[in-house]
Amino acid sequence: MRIGFDKAFIILIKVLTLFSLLLLSFIIIFVFKEGYIFFKEVPILKFITGTTWNPLSDPRNLSIFNIILATLYVSLVAIIIALPIGVGSALLLSGYVKERPRLIIRGLIDIIAGIPSVIFGFIGLMVLVKFFEKFFDFPSGESVLAGGILLAVMVLPYIISTCDETMDKLYRKHSPAAQAMGISKIYILRTIVLPQSLRGIVAATVLAFGRAMGETMAVMMVIGNAPIMPRLLGKCQTIPSLIALEMGMAEVGSLHYHALFAAGFVLMVILLMINVALYYVKRSLNR
Amino acid sequence: MMKRIQSALFALWISVSCVLTIAAGLFIILYIFIKGFKTITWEFLLSNPGGIPIGVEGGIFPAIIGSLLLMLISIVFAFILALATAVYIVFYCESQRLENTAHVIIQCMAGIPSIVLGLFGYTVMVVSLNMGRSLLSAGLTLGIMIFPFIQVRIEKAFREFSKSVLNASYSLGVSKVYTIFRLILPQCRRDIVSSITLAGGFAMGAAAPIMLTGAVIFAPAPKALSSPVMALPLHLYILSNESISMEKSYATALVLIAILITINIFAITLTLWRKEVKR
Repeated sequence: MRIGFDKAFIILIKVLTLFSLLLLSFIIIFVFKEGYIFFKEVPILKFITGTTWNPLSDPRNLSIFNIILATLYVSLVAIIIALPIGVGSALLLSGYVKERPRLIIRGLIDIIAGIPSVIFGFIGLMVLVKFFEKFFDFPSGESVLAGGILLAVMVLPYIISTCDETMDKLYRKHSPAAQAMGISKIYILRTIVLPQSLRGIVAATVLAFGRAMGETMAVMMVIGNAPIMPRLLGKCQTIPSLIALEMGMAEVGSLHYHALFAAGFVLMVILLMINVALYYVKRSLNR
Repeated sequence: MMKRIQSALFALWISVSCVLTIAAGLFIILYIFIKGFKTITWEFLLSNPGGIPIGVEGGIFPAIIGSLLLMLISIVFAFILALATAVYIVFYCESQRLENTAHVIIQCMAGIPSIVLGLFGYTVMVVSLNMGRSLLSAGLTLGIMIFPFIQVRIEKAFREFSKSVLNASYSLGVSKVYTIFRLILPQCRRDIVSSITLAGGFAMGAAAPIMLTGAVIFAPAPKALSSPVMALPLHLYILSNESISMEKSYATALVLIAILITINIFAITLTLWRKEVKR
């Protein structure tokens, strides 16, 4: 009886594991399958390098160069803003803050990480976009910059917790020796912890970049969603927001519908590459 | 002198960044609480949305129920898969290569943007399997989204399990299955519950995957797995993006954020408690 149960349990575990690991290939295959129908009509190179996206014109122009560029641009702005702040906060947390306040700050950071993107988008719309319109006299506050700032706040928790993990270990390792020699905390942080945690910072950047590129709701609510060449203070359109906005309008089976899957496929390929890279960076960290 | 200035600049940089981070977090939470607080009434929480366009009057009851149900379905689905995968990788997997492959796959799944999961859910569940835009399609899509999140945390908890207890159990001739059920699972219970609640919060806040697979602008509280649902994040998006009602938007945001903060604090306290006990 017992042995039968054990065997059944092992088989069940194996089947479920196989299923969960195969899910990734299901996702890739199904999204590719729907996108492939589009690639048969429009060559993939033209899809990626062409600059006009206009599903309603005739003949249809469905190319996403501007949109890919904008996706990268918004994420890059976010990283440029978030990285110095995130690394700085992680340094302070790992060296300076005492146990109890540290727990509270970490808790607050976890809570920021748990705030849904729709709420970020909502606040961006109500505060950031309004602020740009009022103080800088833009015709519309919806811009790449607004998206970048918003995304920066959203990826901050990822950067801080990834950096803090490495930095905390380094600080604990070196601080007794340094303290015995009378070296100040700030000096250890600046000359030992910061340079040695370079790999952790790289891992954090890659992770944050991947998160930023795939973000939908928050970005969609503040960038204006116009598929034009992105400028820092102008409107733009990212791949996730394109899919989210137009999926409802596209008729199942139309070229437009398949083009959206093709765009999703391109985004997925970029992110899969980023994540494989992240896996290897992380592994080299743990050695 | 130069060194002094460098040190001072460095200190300034790290303290300013930390202050900025804390300020951003507090600002978001306080802003929503202050702006939304006065609209929250029992009527708002417990009645259906009404008016034209829908949402101008009334409340958000079906959205609250819808979000909770979506969370429940996604958690059940993701938890079963994540637990099995973690058990297999930690206790049964013999080959290092297979283990590494599994880790790469899970890392990649965690990196797939939620909107692409929405596309997947749409083409497979809504269109091919003919499940329609429903509670079930949306819940399963969310489940796929949070599966890697739960799996990584459960696996970490298993790996932290004391090796000597494990070896003692094996050398007494206790079977692996019995060890897992009687020793490991009860002791990792807190970590598992905490990871599930965090993941549930994550699923509840996601709007992108469900807007393609099952969430709609208006539906009564769902009666069956096949009925479409309302969800808080999508409701908030529609209210604010189409400028239907700013007051109701703030209040909806407040309800959503209050539920999520409660979930987060619950999960954080569970793991903290464990750390204190270990000391």
